[in-house]
Amino acid sequence: MRKLLYLMGLIVLHLQCEAQAGNYIQIPAGDYHLGDTGSLDNPKRVVKVESFWIAKFELTNAEFEKFVQATGYKTLAERYHNAMVFEPGLAEFRWLQDSTAYWRFPNGVSRGGIEAKMDHPVTCISYKDVLAYCTWANCRLPSFDEWEVAARAGSEGYYFEGFSKENMGEYANVWHGRDHLKADYSDGYLYTSPVGKFKPNPWGLYDIFGNVFEFCTGKLERDGDRSIAHARGGSWWCSKNSCAAFNTVYIGSVSPNASFSNLGFRIVKKVFTPSDKDS
Amino acid sequence: MKRGLLFFISFLCWAGVFAQTNPEDDESLFMDTAAIEVRNKMTIPPYGLDKVKALIAKIIPEEDKETTDAGTNAISATDFKKLSLREKFTYTMIHAELYAQNCAIPEYQTQIDKKIFGTLLDGFNESSWSQRQTDFLQENRDSVIKLIQESVIRSKRMGVNYKHALVELNGWQMIPFIIDYAKKTPKDKDALTLLMLLMKRGEYSEFIKSTSFKKLYGENSNYYSYLNYNKENEALIFSRALKYYDEKKASSAVGFLVFETSNLYYNKRQGE
Repeated sequence: MRKLLYLMGLIVLHLQCEAQAGNYIQIPAGDYHLGDTGSLDNPKRVVKVESFWIAKFELTNAEFEKFVQATGYKTLAERYHNAMVFEPGLAEFRWLQDSTAYWRFPNGVSRGGIEAKMDHPVTCISYKDVLAYCTWANCRLPSFDEWEVAARAGSEGYYFEGFSKENMGEYANVWHGRDHLKADYSDGYLYTSPVGKFKPNPWGLYDIFGNVFEFCTGKLERDGDRSIAHARGGSWWCSKNSCAAFNTVYIGSVSPNASFSNLGFRIVKKVFTPSDKDS
Repeated sequence: MKRGLLFFISFLCWAGVFAQTNPEDDESLFMDTAAIEVRNKMTIPPYGLDKVKALIAKIIPEEDKETTDAGTNAISATDFKKLSLREKFTYTMIHAELYAQNCAIPEYQTQIDKKIFGTLLDGFNESSWSQRQTDFLQENRDSVIKLIQESVIRSKRMGVNYKHALVELNGWQMIPFIIDYAKKTPKDKDALTLLMLLMKRGEYSEFIKSTSFKKLYGENSNYYSYLNYNKENEALIFSRALKYYDEKKASSAVGFLVFETSNLYYNKRQGE
């Protein structure tokens, strides 16, 4: 009986992986130029990276829901009621704590749920929640280096080829207002957008510099003994005026217990099969 | 040939003077960790410090009882309530209760002593003040400003936490005090930033119409925008801030005397 349950578990896990077949990009092994001369967090260097498979898209609400339904998992925001939400009218870098917010209501119950947004990236989840998902789905987060290699797509600059601050609206769901006092619907989205709605980078990865910041694994020297999570890329909140850190060099820091509606993740497969290859 | 070389060097210096805010274009930049540390330095108030530190050390993630928005990074409502005003001040100045959003530190800021930035650094790393903390500051505005004055006079430093508190409180009454502090602490260019943030907070029209405002807070500004530091810019900020202060003073008589007295006291004490 126990063996049967184990086999069924393997089948479920396999199906879970198969569901995402075709949604991964294989990043070839090689020596990559990463970092920047001006950065201590991320100095300019050449890094040898093994081949890995990374998701084309940020993980969606639909995918996270499967995890919750299968395990009954409760996120930190659900347990501690400490999620941080945004609404237009707040001063720069200000967020509100909202005890009703969690991944199904990423900006609080009063600002609406995700029923019609199952293809948007999951947000309002903490780093610890993300690790729990990865354990269940037998996947992992990209390391700092892996994320950067995939994001740069062969470029040695701050952005992948084709992207600039002038045309960023074509590639990324970011904030186009001067500040956050008024709602910005200029690209059609106040908060997150469906994944893959904007142009991909040259290697086919979507939403690298927008939609949600993406958790990575890694530690910085400035963390010291503190437990800090790090996320990269950009988010719907970021604008060229505020938090203009949507590039391939900067590495953001956030508490591993914090849940924000502009924080999500993209996964790397631990094991891949021929069916995972993108067409 | 020599003349040509001199001309070329002069041109490079001239171009350097006008170099502005786009760090990403300059590959020769390096991170000035010491200067960033100065800008990020906090002032630790002494009031009930041991007691407050002990309370902070006790904070552990606990399941919320669905009665409050308090997160896992805060002391209990009861403990907070039991603190005296001065202890609450210390708690707020050394511990921010809320999480701050994912953010990269602004690494690309070199020659910091030659710049007057438009914004202050964070100070609290991955945290920010909660509603009850900003409420405390607002509800005890006059006392908090006096405590900050006392502390600055004593320590001869105004940490980034104090500066943020003054912006939060819209503490325009502190302008003469801040100017005196800035003159006596020339290394702390963020005192000039604070003056400009207060003028911005007060929507002072002369400042808002200025070229400085446009550079620091205008359409193309960002977190890294700065003015070049020189005596002329410094003097302009002082005179503009004082003019703003005089106008506010003229239109707001209540609650003014206490700050004027404190400013005189500070000037006298520093002159001793």
